[in-house]
Amino acid sequence: MLPLELLRPEPSDPHDSSLPHVKGQSEFIDDRPFLKNELLVGIVYSSHAHAKILSIETDAALAISGVTCVLTYKDLQHNAWGAIFPDQPFLAVHEVNYVGEVLCVLGAENSEALRLGLKAIKVDYEILPAILSIRAAQEAESFIGSARLIERGRVETAFQGAPHTLSGHLTIRGAEHFYLENQSALVYPKESGQYEVHSSTQHPTETQHLVAEALGLQQNDVVCIAKRLGGGFGGKETQAAPFAVYAAMVAKATGRAARLVLSKDDDMIVTGKRNPFELNYRVAFDQDGRILALDIQLFADAGAYADLSTAILERAMAHVDNAYFLPAVRIEGRVCRTHFHSHTAFRGFGGPKGVAAIENIMEEIARRLGRDALDIRKLNCYQGPDRDVTPYGQKLENNLLPELFAKLEDSCAYRRRRLEVEQWNLESQRTLRGLSMTAIKFGISFTTRFLNQGNALINIHRDGSIQVSTGAVEMGQGVNTRIARLVAEQFGLESSRVRLMPTSTEKNANTSPTAASKGTDLNGSAAVLACERIKRRLAALFMQVIELEPEKWPSQTAGLGMMPEIHLDENLDASAVIFASGQVYRKAQPEKAMSFQSLVAEAYFNRVSLSEYAFYKVPLIGFNKLSGQGRAFLYFTQGVACTELELDRCTGHVKVLRTDILMDLGRPVNYELDIGQIRGGFIQGLGWMTSENLFYDQSGRLLSHAPSTYKIPSVHDIPRQFNVELVKNEGNHLNVRGTKAVGEPPLMLCFSVWNAIKNALSYAAPYSEQGLADLPIPATSEQILRALKPLEFAKWERGLNE
Amino acid sequence: MAKYRDFALLYINGQRHEIRGEEAFMMLTVYLRYQRGLTGTKIVCAEGDCGACTVLRVFPMTRVAKTLQFEAINACIITMAQLDGSHLVTIEALASEHSLSAVQEAVVRNHGAQCGFCTPGMVMALTGFFQKDRPELSEQLVKNHLTGNLCRCTGYTSLLTAAQSVDPKQVPLLNPRYLQARALTDTKDVTKIPLHIKTEAHEFLAPVSLKDAVSLRKKNGSLRLISSGTDLGVQVNKGAAIPAALLSLHLIPELYKITSLGGRVRVGARVNLSELRRYCAQKIPEFASFLDIFASPQIKNLATLVGNIANASPIGDTLPFLLVTEGIVHLVGGTKPRDLAMLDLYSGYRQLTLKPREFISHVSFKIPQQQDCLRLYKVSQRKDLDISAVNCAFLFQTTGSDHKAAAKIKTARIAYGGVAANVQRCEEAEAYLLGKTLTEETQGKALELIQAALSPQTDLRGSLAYRRVMIESLFRRYCGELWQRDDRHAAT
Repeated sequence: MLPLELLRPEPSDPHDSSLPHVKGQSEFIDDRPFLKNELLVGIVYSSHAHAKILSIETDAALAISGVTCVLTYKDLQHNAWGAIFPDQPFLAVHEVNYVGEVLCVLGAENSEALRLGLKAIKVDYEILPAILSIRAAQEAESFIGSARLIERGRVETAFQGAPHTLSGHLTIRGAEHFYLENQSALVYPKESGQYEVHSSTQHPTETQHLVAEALGLQQNDVVCIAKRLGGGFGGKETQAAPFAVYAAMVAKATGRAARLVLSKDDDMIVTGKRNPFELNYRVAFDQDGRILALDIQLFADAGAYADLSTAILERAMAHVDNAYFLPAVRIEGRVCRTHFHSHTAFRGFGGPKGVAAIENIMEEIARRLGRDALDIRKLNCYQGPDRDVTPYGQKLENNLLPELFAKLEDSCAYRRRRLEVEQWNLESQRTLRGLSMTAIKFGISFTTRFLNQGNALINIHRDGSIQVSTGAVEMGQGVNTRIARLVAEQFGLESSRVRLMPTSTEKNANTSPTAASKGTDLNGSAAVLACERIKRRLAALFMQVIELEPEKWPSQTAGLGMMPEIHLDENLDASAVIFASGQVYRKAQPEKAMSFQSLVAEAYFNRVSLSEYAFYKVPLIGFNKLSGQGRAFLYFTQGVACTELELDRCTGHVKVLRTDILMDLGRPVNYELDIGQIRGGFIQGLGWMTSENLFYDQSGRLLSHAPSTYKIPSVHDIPRQFNVELVKNEGNHLNVRGTKAVGEPPLMLCFSVWNAIKNALSYAAPYSEQGLADLPIPATSEQILRALKPLEFAKWERGLNE
Repeated sequence: MAKYRDFALLYINGQRHEIRGEEAFMMLTVYLRYQRGLTGTKIVCAEGDCGACTVLRVFPMTRVAKTLQFEAINACIITMAQLDGSHLVTIEALASEHSLSAVQEAVVRNHGAQCGFCTPGMVMALTGFFQKDRPELSEQLVKNHLTGNLCRCTGYTSLLTAAQSVDPKQVPLLNPRYLQARALTDTKDVTKIPLHIKTEAHEFLAPVSLKDAVSLRKKNGSLRLISSGTDLGVQVNKGAAIPAALLSLHLIPELYKITSLGGRVRVGARVNLSELRRYCAQKIPEFASFLDIFASPQIKNLATLVGNIANASPIGDTLPFLLVTEGIVHLVGGTKPRDLAMLDLYSGYRQLTLKPREFISHVSFKIPQQQDCLRLYKVSQRKDLDISAVNCAFLFQTTGSDHKAAAKIKTARIAYGGVAANVQRCEEAEAYLLGKTLTEETQGKALELIQAALSPQTDLRGSLAYRRVMIESLFRRYCGELWQRDDRHAAT
């Protein structure tokens, strides 16, 4: 094992929108100026989880001055959508299946008319019984799709001979994306029945297609543009599209521009969350804590419709191993249909559910054997050559996990701090401390093969400045800044010479969502391919132009046609031509250089194309979802995190004292943006582990639907000490520039927080007697206090039952 | 009564605006974004909990600090009429033509902006921080100042680094640019004239003396009195109609006063929580540090103590404090002015015992003395800027403090919030504890009486059992702390 080297911080381009961001000039959808005749759009949604719609009374609303139209499913040409199964209506027809299901759409002249109009719509329901838990769905056999299985080895045989076994259950609750920019769409009707759709969507192509379908148009009649998003996190991958459809319906019905901007409350009630999961597991292990076999069942709550839940389940199952080798394993999965909003993608997709499962199991094994959980993790960590194949049969390449564990254990002084934590817990009456180190190995690729494609359009203008258009959507992650850098590096230019244009389906069609951490990989790779083609042409031209007297160059002669056009020799070896520091020259002849800008001008006058479109598809991958086997991922992003925290014994409140993160991101395109993704992703996960509590009443109504009641981390909740570092890894040759995707993986390092809570609780007396197997995610203050004072809770709850 | 004016006067980025008609009833965010095209101020939650709408404000009548300084407020929950007399600065006004402000520059340099939606609010909140008289630049102070600004992208670290990289001396005050003497004179003069804006749907009245306020209310009983309206604004944003007729006290200078006399502090109805905190910093440090985890700076720069009282929430965070410090409200508007103990103010969930047309002009409370041990606790899912599940206040006086274990309780005051329809004093437990020493047995008996006086329910902030357990834990924590009074900040 070679010790890893840290990657020194590198100078990084600022985010390409940072100037307009700090000046308040960045334009989001609702910042676009109003057209004179523009309408506001509002939605009416179900207040019941499951009900038959008896009637929708719209006359009173239409009678209100300023209400322009009230539209229902009858106004749609097509009323079914869904990325995997088209099982969801845009507007409810006979039945509603969750609180928040949209029933009708209003267009109004102003906000007051809209407010009154929405209030005037009366809906009569016949309430039906609702399925409001995974257990209830299991009992009713309410499932979506078939059962899924990933299996390897002889699980039962391993259990029979095992020295130790334990079994348990883990409840993982959902979480709200809480992007700051609520779902928004603005639709302009154009001539000849065309529509220009501005949508806060991670998936402009799907939004374009769904608007066309819903309105009964050809896809070429709709252009969808997503300039930037005020955060997405997966919540705008599929679920932005219906809102664009609603605005488009009003635009079509009235011939006027139509703007829909949800309030945070409506957004939280209507849109889906991270899928809740229930997990059951049995694990067999030897005296040292080495896992012999794992048998686990994952049940996902999809909510009312399929959305992406089957794919989310697949990713959850493919991440049950996380950083650890499972010699014999059976992973079963099932998606349950309930009567909640349809849950959807959220940073990590299903990954966090699998990772949560195995990291919890590591902690449980350690507890059973009275060992430090880090030892159990290191013992089980993937380590070649016999223990380097995933349950789905993919062999790990360039695996740094053992080195990452070792490096962080040393650099964060884990062993010394373990002793300090033990001492603290002996002495402190007031607080309990816990310490945990967990890992992430996150697979990079869509598990659905056809999504792993991207395209890019490069236009070089005559002053040598460049515009790039791709299918990538900028939502804060800095994908545009990274692609600009990749393109600038190709031509040896400053990033300021490259501008990323608003994402639009008229420039880049049939794109995949900006999701799965793949934004830079897919779109950056395509952009680089396009650059390489232009470079080949420019290099060939350069080789010939530079041999001519300057007065014979095309820019001097093309106007009058005094010279024959230079014929580009396609077979010329142009690889010896260097593009660097704004100059172009032959490697062997650096003194004979010309500026990039001049070469571009010569290319124009010599009729050489300065634009290129390129297509990229991820190589090597292929995963059979039915057999649960194959190369699911191109590569893995890896990392480890160690968290120390403190619980208030009296209130259950968690204070995170210190977190250290070490990640392998290959060769980052932009060091600082990557560090920002790690910090932000981790803190988002920290919120989910601790304070973010989706509270539904017994009728399935979400009551915590605003920041007053749904608590994402504030500035006070971040670790008091927060160290993030990267290691040097130049071995990821499979991806563009040797970089690795960063968007989702760091979120899953948040399990160091949850397991540190569990670790802290393990020092408290009641825990050792009663077990802590039931601590759910999130571990709210109340859950923690319940674990600390089970008898007191029981006393009051017993009183309730009597 | 003086002649009324029919417009609210505001200066926005140094420009004079007379706001008439329906525009006066718009939230400031709506006015800025859709009437003026100043779209840098964002709307996310419309309830004052995320800070994306942060702008800076000077209201000349509010002045506990020596000089007027721009302070952060939430623009999404306050109407234009309520801002009458204010000087505002928005994100668009920070950069000059050729250069960014020091804060903006620091945020760019430290990669503090990702999606950009919270960024303008963050920049405004930080700019407000640097408007204070040469702030001491500690991480904790910066954090306290960003309590009210949520970011979902960055994890905040880069923003903290940015803030700490700014040299306070290099941040020019906004006053010379946006609080010019002529403008200040203008608002001072104009706000001496009472305000009356009437439209087809709405009416807004703001008299310049308490006497006039009383007589207006006598004439028109349906006038709804508003304080800073931070709660009303939220309700309106969530679909409630703006009440047809509003009476605002914002032009009455005497209501901005805080005084102390005879061991009591007297606070006018317009005193906001930031001023109150400054005033109490030395006098009642426990209350001042409690106010640090109460709401956000943006809210505290608007919301008033009297508003918190009149709102009558069962979980109002200042109420347990006021109950244990013998709070008294001064009422006007009835047949004659009268004082009413806070203990007798609430009659049920969100119910006050006021007579028709009475309203609170002042509140006073006792300043705890050397021998008093005051503790204020608040338990919420997130420690800062969260609505409590349980809050409580304890104020005990003991004799013979040299022999702590033998000390007898001379007075005991116990109040809990969030565990009954109103904030509750636990008088039976207080009576029981009188003259006792604190032992396991007396604590247990007192707890029985406390629990019997309270009736917590399950809601989204916590289950009944959780609240019951917290009631006990917090009382026991206090009893423990009573003997370790030097250890007062160990908890935080």
